[in-house]
Amino acid sequence: MSLLEIDDLHVTYSTGDGSVHAINGVSFDIDEGVNYGLAGESGSGKSTAAEAVLGLLPENGTVESGSVTFKGQDLLALSERERRDVLWEDIAYIPQSAMDALDPVMTTGAQIRQAIQTHRNVTKSKARDRVQELFDMVGLDPDRIDDYPHEFSGGMRQRVTIAMALALDPDLIIADEPTTGLDVIVQDKIIDKIIEIQDRIDSSLLLITHEVGVIAETCDELSILYGGKVMEQGSVDNVLVNPTNPYTMGLKNSFPEIDNVDEDPVSIPGSPPDLSEPPTGCAFRDRCPFADEECYESHPDLVDLPNRNHRSACHYVDNAAQMRRDAGDPRTWGIETDTASDGDHERGEVILETDGLEKWYTQSQSLLDRIRGDEPNHVRAVDGVSLSVRKSEVLGIAGESGCGKSTLGETVALLEEPTGGSITFDDTDIEEYQDGNMKAFREKAQIIFQDPFDSLNPRQTVRRLVGEPLAIHDRDRDTRARRVRETLERVGLTPAEKFLDQYPHELSGGQRQRVAIARALVLEPDFLVCDEPASMLDVSLKVNLLNLLRRLADEEDIGIIYISHDLASLTQVSDRLAIMYLGRIIEQGDTEAIVESPKHPYTESLLRAAPEKDPSVSRDRVLLEGEPPNPVDLPSGCAFAPRCPKAQDECYREEPGLDAAGGPNQSAACYFPVGEDPVADDGPATDDAGTGSTPQESD
Amino acid sequence: MSDFQRFLAKRIGIAIGLTLIAVTIIFVVLRMLPGSPFESLITAGNLTQGQVDEIMALYGLDKPIWQQYLIYLRNILTFQFGYSILQSQPVWDILAPKLANTLILLVPALVTTAVVSTLLGMYVGWNRGSKAETASIIGTTFLRSTPVFITAIFFVIIFSYTLDLVPAFGMRSITATPDGLLDTYMSMDFLHHYILPFTVTVLFYSGDFLLLARNGVVEKKGSEFLKLHRAKGLSENEQLMRAGRNSMLPVITYFALRLGMIFQGLILLEVVFAWPGIGRALVLAIQQQDYPLVQASVFIMALAVIIMNLVADVLYAYFDPTVSVSGGGA
Repeated sequence: MSLLEIDDLHVTYSTGDGSVHAINGVSFDIDEGVNYGLAGESGSGKSTAAEAVLGLLPENGTVESGSVTFKGQDLLALSERERRDVLWEDIAYIPQSAMDALDPVMTTGAQIRQAIQTHRNVTKSKARDRVQELFDMVGLDPDRIDDYPHEFSGGMRQRVTIAMALALDPDLIIADEPTTGLDVIVQDKIIDKIIEIQDRIDSSLLLITHEVGVIAETCDELSILYGGKVMEQGSVDNVLVNPTNPYTMGLKNSFPEIDNVDEDPVSIPGSPPDLSEPPTGCAFRDRCPFADEECYESHPDLVDLPNRNHRSACHYVDNAAQMRRDAGDPRTWGIETDTASDGDHERGEVILETDGLEKWYTQSQSLLDRIRGDEPNHVRAVDGVSLSVRKSEVLGIAGESGCGKSTLGETVALLEEPTGGSITFDDTDIEEYQDGNMKAFREKAQIIFQDPFDSLNPRQTVRRLVGEPLAIHDRDRDTRARRVRETLERVGLTPAEKFLDQYPHELSGGQRQRVAIARALVLEPDFLVCDEPASMLDVSLKVNLLNLLRRLADEEDIGIIYISHDLASLTQVSDRLAIMYLGRIIEQGDTEAIVESPKHPYTESLLRAAPEKDPSVSRDRVLLEGEPPNPVDLPSGCAFAPRCPKAQDECYREEPGLDAAGGPNQSAACYFPVGEDPVADDGPATDDAGTGSTPQESD
Repeated sequence: MSDFQRFLAKRIGIAIGLTLIAVTIIFVVLRMLPGSPFESLITAGNLTQGQVDEIMALYGLDKPIWQQYLIYLRNILTFQFGYSILQSQPVWDILAPKLANTLILLVPALVTTAVVSTLLGMYVGWNRGSKAETASIIGTTFLRSTPVFITAIFFVIIFSYTLDLVPAFGMRSITATPDGLLDTYMSMDFLHHYILPFTVTVLFYSGDFLLLARNGVVEKKGSEFLKLHRAKGLSENEQLMRAGRNSMLPVITYFALRLGMIFQGLILLEVVFAWPGIGRALVLAIQQQDYPLVQASVFIMALAVIIMNLVADVLYAYFDPTVSVSGGGA
């Protein structure tokens, strides 16, 4: 008997204008000790399925029909009280966003203790002991159980929720996007931890994620959901290696991978289905290149493929091999490929150059210190960065959260005042613009922010949102109307008329981000800063966006700085990469050179941290110890040395310059670059270790 | 010195500064009022110039203004409020009973409404969209937006004149001559007079707390941490308590500030119910330009607000662990 059996589950949400059929007949079984993955784009119903199992559906959500059986017990038939006994005792839950999932006014230890004491009759001190044990298990300091959530970083908070999930040795752990919002290195560590622990306590895991790669690495079986239907399910090895459903193929192909710099990921065009009616035909038919009349008439049933653990819901399972071949070709999906994007295009003149750029934030001081004239502490968010961007070039900036990459973007776009160094934009020093000429600068340099949900004024229509920059820069009414329309079509919002009078909340995430891009492009800038523009988007939308940016650089000669922690998408879009660590660039060079042979150990671990979508490929993890040090109180010498597996005495004495290693197309700030044996003797080390750090030299 | 002590020292410093400023403003404003306390006596021709000078000297009003200011500062900060000019009694003897009357009415009323309305607000916020929610919001908003004396008059008409349940005004029966504190405030007679103004005050303040608590809970309701609490198997009430605890801050702040302002009394309410409180005393004292009395009562009111502000800050730091007591950041 399976641990959890879900049979023909239907869930609807009632909304102001009718109901949304989020799940339309989903069935799957999880056996004991099995890691099960649920994958799909947003809106595919994967989180709803988990919430239905846990009984956590929001008030407007109802289970219409179907059954959820856990250890032979029908979960849907339980009373509130009976369900509460099952929750956490048998089924634990790791929530989506660790940042908000912990009660901010309760110590982390108390929250875990609460979970224990709700279900077990134990004394407070016994429960505390257990919490300390759990903290130790997930790699947190057991002495910190009396700290509040805000005293932990995002990754550590996720560890707290994992510790909480483990508290009562549940039989099933449901993890809903446990790593979304964390950067690659932390994500890798968390996944590693979940698997390690879950192996040890031998529970089952239901992992919900939109990252096929994470499932490929952690799960034994999976279901791919689309439009509230199971498209394909079975063992991970079968489904992901030899997908038989066009949706799975599309999802897999759109997942960018670091190693294939030349191979563009192929996105699935279109947007998720409208679920205001239960789907009549195949849910995927509108976006499927292989669809014909039959697909419009009925949704295909899941068909067992012979001789293996693999089921697919497609009318044309028999043609799977042929479809697999075709699906790798973007033209199958109706996407124009431009041969220009092979990376060999001309790069224009330098549009932006920074030299030793610094942005230090002063920490507030006590009155006494101020009177004594003590030097205030600085947070060195950007600390001596020298880089240059050419027209029609995409420079990727990568790094963990907190490395200063966003501050760098904002400083370069002059949204933050630089505290040192210089910026030259379009052959003119930035100070000339700041001297009453900012409007001219803003016209040429634009920025796109991370979150399209916050960066658009919810009370303005698309027409006004996109037209506003034109109004600010005194374009007349006719030009404005024309340019708004043109720009919307340029970013793929066609026909423009359809979108002009819509408000942001009426648009999907991908469309919103396109509006944000249109707003940045409407003035036809020469230079664009993109700060994680794709981090909130689904894979296929992400690929669309990357391709759009690439095209803008290639065809319209825009210089782009693309900031992200997601190296896989960075390598897809960038010509050159700069890796940042604690406010400095520690490696920079051509994308291919860096991906193929990273010199800096930090770059190497970043590259290794990205999950692999092919389950047959195994990957060596390079798990970094610890967290980045406090940017106020930096160690002398190389800032990465305390976490570096190769660090020698020399690294602690003096900071390597960016010219310490590398070749013609690549340079890295490391004495002992990857792939070369450490030679302790002939470094340029001096015996007296300076207290300050040597500023970096420009490349 | 720990972070918290430093924070406390800073806040106390600010409170002391504010007190000095408030005291100075009281002084300046009073001296800027035209006329003097003896004006009416002088214009009536009852006093000779010599007598006037003598009286002015007696009260120290012949000294240069800066000397008056310094003496005033010294006295008021050591709580030496002096003698009332018009009532020839120590100021404190006049003010203390009035203040006590006001506080005995308003403090229990405020505490009651804070507890009851907050709990009710949390409950209706949790059951958003219910009839109870709509009714309670409309009811309390109505009570809050109607001037308190109108509500009071209606209550007097209904409960005193029509139903004849409680007396219409005063703090005790006219014939009663209570002896000692216990007798004054713990008698059935007092309670009988107390119940109506108490109820009106409770209702008047209920809207603020109810809405604050309701909005807080509504805002927290969809949050991820409550979902996790729910997944942990906490019961509905336990979840509500967590939501309430998380939306406690505005309620606590508001309560502390209101508590400070209560020292000013609710003048209109005191007038309608003929309650001998500090609000009425102040209005009278200003009319009569009774400097020492006005100075003392305004000082007490300002001090109460400042102290309760300080308490609110400290409570805030205590109840919200994310408030950075070191004052870093911005």
